[in-house]
Amino acid sequence: MTGPVALVVNGVPAPATDVPDDERLLDTLRWRLGRKGTKEGCRTGDCGACTVLVDGETTLSCLTLTHEVAGAAITTIEGIADDGLGRRVQSAFAEEDALQCGYCTPGFIVAVTGVLAELGPNATRESILDALQGNLCRCTGYLAIQRAVERVRGGTP
Amino acid sequence: MTFSLERPETVGEAIRILSDPSYAPAVPLAGGTDLLLDVDEGRIPARTVVSLARLPWRTLHWEGDTLVVGATLPFAKLPAEAGVRTRLPGLVDAVEAVGSLALRHRATLGGNLGRAAPASDVLPILLAVGAVVRLVSASGEREVPIGQFVRGSRETSLARAELIESVAIPSAPRSAYVWQRVRPANDVSQVGVAVAWAGAPGAWQVALGGVLPTPVRVAEAEAQLPNDPPTAAEIDLAARAAAAGAAFTTDKRATESYRRRLVSTLVRRGFARAMAAGGVP
Ligand SMILES: Cc1cc2nc3c(=O)[nH]c(=O)nc-3n(C[C@H](O)[C@H](O)[C@H](O)COP(=O)(O)OP(=O)(O)OC[C@H]3O[C@@H](n4cnc5c(N)ncnc54)[C@H](O)[C@@H]3O)c2cc1C
Ligand code: FES
Ligand code: FES
Repeated sequence: MTGPVALVVNGVPAPATDVPDDERLLDTLRWRLGRKGTKEGCRTGDCGACTVLVDGETTLSCLTLTHEVAGAAITTIEGIADDGLGRRVQSAFAEEDALQCGYCTPGFIVAVTGVLAELGPNATRESILDALQGNLCRCTGYLAIQRAVERVRGGTP
Repeated sequence: MTFSLERPETVGEAIRILSDPSYAPAVPLAGGTDLLLDVDEGRIPARTVVSLARLPWRTLHWEGDTLVVGATLPFAKLPAEAGVRTRLPGLVDAVEAVGSLALRHRATLGGNLGRAAPASDVLPILLAVGAVVRLVSASGEREVPIGQFVRGSRETSLARAELIESVAIPSAPRSAYVWQRVRPANDVSQVGVAVAWAGAPGAWQVALGGVLPTPVRVAEAEAQLPNDPPTAAEIDLAARAAAAGAAFTTDKRATESYRRRLVSTLVRRGFARAMAAGGVP
């Protein structure tokens, strides 16, 4: 079967019609709604490239059925800088050159934003890095990514 | 399209769809972190996928000294609940070992039991503390001890159109789960060891995951631990006894002999961690 789904993507209602029952949120975002910032790496939950926020929680869009998140507020990389924290994370990645090929970067920026919001201002560096373990960078630029996280935590603009 | 999705609002409706031949084969969906891949790759045939998301099972409460975790509560919600970390530290160790935080925002305990994976990180601690699975079907409710519930990889004692409603987990303030993997996140544990003190002399419980097709309690190791707290020599004997057990699996993740060494090391680490959790020097 197919059916309509009322998503709110980056604060804007994004109704989708005729969404197949087995469609993943990743595909709805990329191919139906044209938000191609969210990347597909593995499609099996292993890499984190497809991370989006669903009602504020980091979520692997490749393992999530679109119909299961009907009505939820979805935040993708395209909307991450609409909010102060997301904007700081995004500029910290730029300042620290925390990307090489850039393929993992949308997933990382969304994940860092979601994790910092979820764990709160008193979270330890270790707990933040633990919560980011599901995001892989094939270019292995992890040190710069860690510096970007530190920059946001330290409040450097 | 591979399947159609039903999103029932009541348990009765979910069970009705799962039993109705016109939907068959029909399978329940919790977080989908196992099921969607199993369906995609043809390991589980499904014409209808029945979402449990609207059922009132995203719950967690204490019944006296027993924690009752609703089948569809995402793992990520569990460690933060009041009292869980102090009363069941081994369960928190196990839950936090699963995948990554983003995965745990969707993956559930009901789904982990439904999958019954040999290397599940959650089953060993449930075995060690003596958890009981609460099931519901058209013929009513029943309770099955975890050791009888899991029968093999993807094999459980669930009847057709029967659902896991919740899991009752006795508290164990001195408990721990420790594991070894090639990569810490999103990888399958080569070996996982759960230890728990069940509150009576001679009642240290030791369970292993990842070494056999199902997680197992190791009576030979437990027999070496008559005292509380156990002495270093007793723990050493228990570690050797656990590693000397049945023929362990060899697979792409580890050889049998490496698994034996891991078991021995992890049993020692598990005791150190469980005693630290319970405040024993
Ligand atoms: C990248 C990745 C990493 C992972 N890492 C780990 C790990 O470290 N440790 C680990 O243990 N597991 C891991 N897993 C496996 C998986 O995430 C867990 O087993 C998880 O707990 C499954 O829960 P779920 O809610 O997603 O289940 P689902 O996929 O929704 O369901 C799993 C099975 O259980 C059945 N089911 C679900 N709910 C019920 C119910 N209430 N009653 C009856 N049957 C039910 C389904 O029909 C299905 O057969 C990983 C998976 C992925 C993709
Ligand atoms: S594409 Fe979703 S985790 Fe890799
Ligand atoms: S920058 Fe290339 S994958 Fe991370």
